[in-house]
Amino acid sequence: MSEQEYYIPHGTYWPIIGSIGVSTLFVGFANQMHGAEWGGSVMALGFAILVFMMFGWFGQVVNESTNGIYNKQVDRSFRWGMSWFIFSEVMFFAAFFGALFYARQFSVPWLGGEGNNIFTPDLWNAFSASWHQMAFLAPGTELQSGTVMSFPAIPDTGIVTATPADVVDPWGLPALNTALLLASGVTLTFAHHALRAGHRNQIVGWLVATIALGAAFLGFQIMEYGHAYQDGLKLTSGIYGSTFYMLTGFHGFHVTVGVIMLTVILYRVQKGHFTADNHFGFEGVAWYWHFVDVVWLGLFVFVYWL
Amino acid sequence: MTTATASHDDHHGPEKGLMRWVKTTNHKDIGSLYLWFAFTMLLVGGAFAMGIRAELLQPGMQLMEPQFFNQLTTMHGLIMVFGAIMPAFVGLGNWLIPMMIGAPDMALPRMNNWSFWILPFAGAILLSTFFMEGGAPAFGWTFYAPLSTTFAPDSTDFFIFAVHLLGFSSIMGAINIIATVLNMRAPEMKLMDMPLFVWTWLITSFLLIGAMPVLAGAVTMMLTDRNFGTAFFDATGGGDPVLFQHIFWFFGHPEVYIMILPAFGVVSHIIPTFARKPLFGYSSMVYATASIAFLSYIVWAHHMFLTGMPVAAELYFMYATMLIAVPTGVKVFNWIATMWRGSMTFETPMLWAVSFVFLFTIGGFSGLMLGIVPADIQYHDTYFVVAHFHYVLVTGALWAIIAATFYWLPKWTGRMYNETLGKVHFWWAVISVNVLFFPQHFLGLAGMPRRIPDYSLQFADFNLISSLGGFAFGASFILLTYIVIDCVRNGKPCGSRPWESAKGLEWTLEPKAQYHSFNTPPSRALIEAESQNS
Amino acid sequence: MSEVLIVVVIIAILIALGFGLIGMVKGGKQGSDKMFKSLVVRITLSVVLFIFVMFAGYMGWITPNTIMLDAPTVQTSVDK
Repeated sequence: MSEQEYYIPHGTYWPIIGSIGVSTLFVGFANQMHGAEWGGSVMALGFAILVFMMFGWFGQVVNESTNGIYNKQVDRSFRWGMSWFIFSEVMFFAAFFGALFYARQFSVPWLGGEGNNIFTPDLWNAFSASWHQMAFLAPGTELQSGTVMSFPAIPDTGIVTATPADVVDPWGLPALNTALLLASGVTLTFAHHALRAGHRNQIVGWLVATIALGAAFLGFQIMEYGHAYQDGLKLTSGIYGSTFYMLTGFHGFHVTVGVIMLTVILYRVQKGHFTADNHFGFEGVAWYWHFVDVVWLGLFVFVYWL
Repeated sequence: MTTATASHDDHHGPEKGLMRWVKTTNHKDIGSLYLWFAFTMLLVGGAFAMGIRAELLQPGMQLMEPQFFNQLTTMHGLIMVFGAIMPAFVGLGNWLIPMMIGAPDMALPRMNNWSFWILPFAGAILLSTFFMEGGAPAFGWTFYAPLSTTFAPDSTDFFIFAVHLLGFSSIMGAINIIATVLNMRAPEMKLMDMPLFVWTWLITSFLLIGAMPVLAGAVTMMLTDRNFGTAFFDATGGGDPVLFQHIFWFFGHPEVYIMILPAFGVVSHIIPTFARKPLFGYSSMVYATASIAFLSYIVWAHHMFLTGMPVAAELYFMYATMLIAVPTGVKVFNWIATMWRGSMTFETPMLWAVSFVFLFTIGGFSGLMLGIVPADIQYHDTYFVVAHFHYVLVTGALWAIIAATFYWLPKWTGRMYNETLGKVHFWWAVISVNVLFFPQHFLGLAGMPRRIPDYSLQFADFNLISSLGGFAFGASFILLTYIVIDCVRNGKPCGSRPWESAKGLEWTLEPKAQYHSFNTPPSRALIEAESQNS
Repeated sequence: MSEVLIVVVIIAILIALGFGLIGMVKGGKQGSDKMFKSLVVRITLSVVLFIFVMFAGYMGWITPNTIMLDAPTVQTSVDK
């Protein structure tokens, strides 16, 4: 298609399929949480519809692209679209980082009596503000009579205000995972360089290394969750557990998506879809991976260290 | 030579049948879908409002349980904000932006289809909560924790997912508009040649992309607090309900500008046309819009003066809020200066636009009153707040949407609406809306709290007046529906530029704009001749 | 002091990432070059930051979640 022509696609069924898929997924999820037995299956159905939609829609776009239907203007529209999509992702993570900072700097110290101490003096006489702790057992939770807990609780209520013993140790798995993810950023940069220099064989090698490092990261992350749960750090362990799991969890989800996208890119590289000059698909995914990498670095510094 | 070549059906106009609307990638079809969806939601949300005003007609409990009253106020707010006003502006943007920038269509037409077709699903999920056990959400449209977490009905989870879907839709719509404006603009059109509606929508898109993901984060935390035992908004676990308010209003304050900036754009088109003068201060309008957008991100806690924030923070948020009055004042003065010594006529769109300037300014001033910390301690959560945001959202945002409908309806349909009926409808609406909302200022200043189904006797008179105004205003939409349908079906065919001093590339198209707006980009001479910045 | 340095470097990384995005949006040979260079800067800075954080932790300049670490735990008994 020539540069002077506008491209306007045919009508399409994919959006309505996507809407049906995502609505089914959400309705199933909500019912699952409310204890409906069929909730899980409906969720799975919705997810399957969504995956079908993505394969179909992206497949169609890739086909049109390789058939040369798109021109530079369409390419630029995709670039704008991808960049602002990623900016919306940044703002999504910002909400959770904001919650982390607020809890660390304001709500937990205030509950501990900092500032004018109007919030808590008698309400929380056994409460001590400490970052790594706090859990809430619902009132009426059966604790064995005479149990002595080695963590603070509000007398006679069973509201435990502190559990587990310590924050997650940043040495060990978290450090290893950071190294893995950073290494994947390096290998991806080599792949990017190879693509720009036109060395197709090297691209494949570096991409495979990137995908492997990303998958290893996910594996270790699951291991870490296992350890943390055994040590008593749960999603329900108060604000520390909440921010820890939500931030790392959403990050892990994005890594999973990134690994899938990189795999697709690997496939497309082998098919010869990209040239040294024209490889927006690769650039978009590469940037996404770098973004996920930076989010992790932020997590590592702010959740594990500072 | 540039031509739009794509698919065969595009050359011959739209497909036939129902599937046209499901499959469409055409900006005009999708714009119409948005507008009709928004109008339907406006009627639904309006019906809820009628229920609210009926209950408040007299003191005492008349028609409904307090719990149901709360469901009505909650759903009225949610439906109007997310179902009516926002989709209506996206619809206007879809219809008008490609025509105004000399493009054939939106930049990402398939995604455009998806941003619309998520909405009916989200709306259905949201409305279905009425039929669930425990009823619909009843915690107000701001869904503060812990009302929305610990004490809310099960249906709240459906509400959360509906908000997620609405967020996807808005973000995709905003991405599309940015890509369209920056990439599909006629090659000869510079940024400062763009019409103000395009400018305001471009800036609004940045607000949407910055704010909607934060809302998604807030409802996600609500979801896990409710179902998975996290403690974000729960002080027993070290979280804080006030954290919810911070996150919500970090979204919520840009959100109110999302709903009003495109309205500013619309009015900046209509007033010059009927004053027969170029827009006064084009570039200052652009800069004022950008300043308002920037400021909207750093004033959110003025909604939270009574949460026990440190005094230093209250002072900062108060002064930052006052600052917004400066660029907004610039806009109001520019509109007035545009009208100054113009050869004015008052066709229906102009009536709506002029009353917008007047009534929106009232809403803006009551906003300033609320932004002053010591005063807000008195006004907070009273009917004064209700009066304030209805003046900016009904006689602001909705007014501009109706003005835009009358102004561009000839371009959309190729036909003229009935001018007499249009004027009758305007006067009916503008009188009744003031009878409806103006007494609420007095109620608020006298101390009547918002979101309650019953009130003490001294508030009875003003509530009666307000309710009567409400019913009259509600009924005016029956006439509006008739006028629009009558125009589409039987309107007199009009020329391509039915308003003789209207400027803008859209008026150079055929009387009923062709299916794909510009198959060849307009020339530099044409763009300059049609520019607002001259 | 180390904390400030770390935050500054993170901001620098974000800026480099942002320049990469601008390059990507720009496209073409120029944009592609800009994107690649920015991403090289960002990965280099990240590796340096990681090494610095681990070193600072090793030297004891920073300790994990120091802000409120030393809260006393209390023995509490529940009687029914």
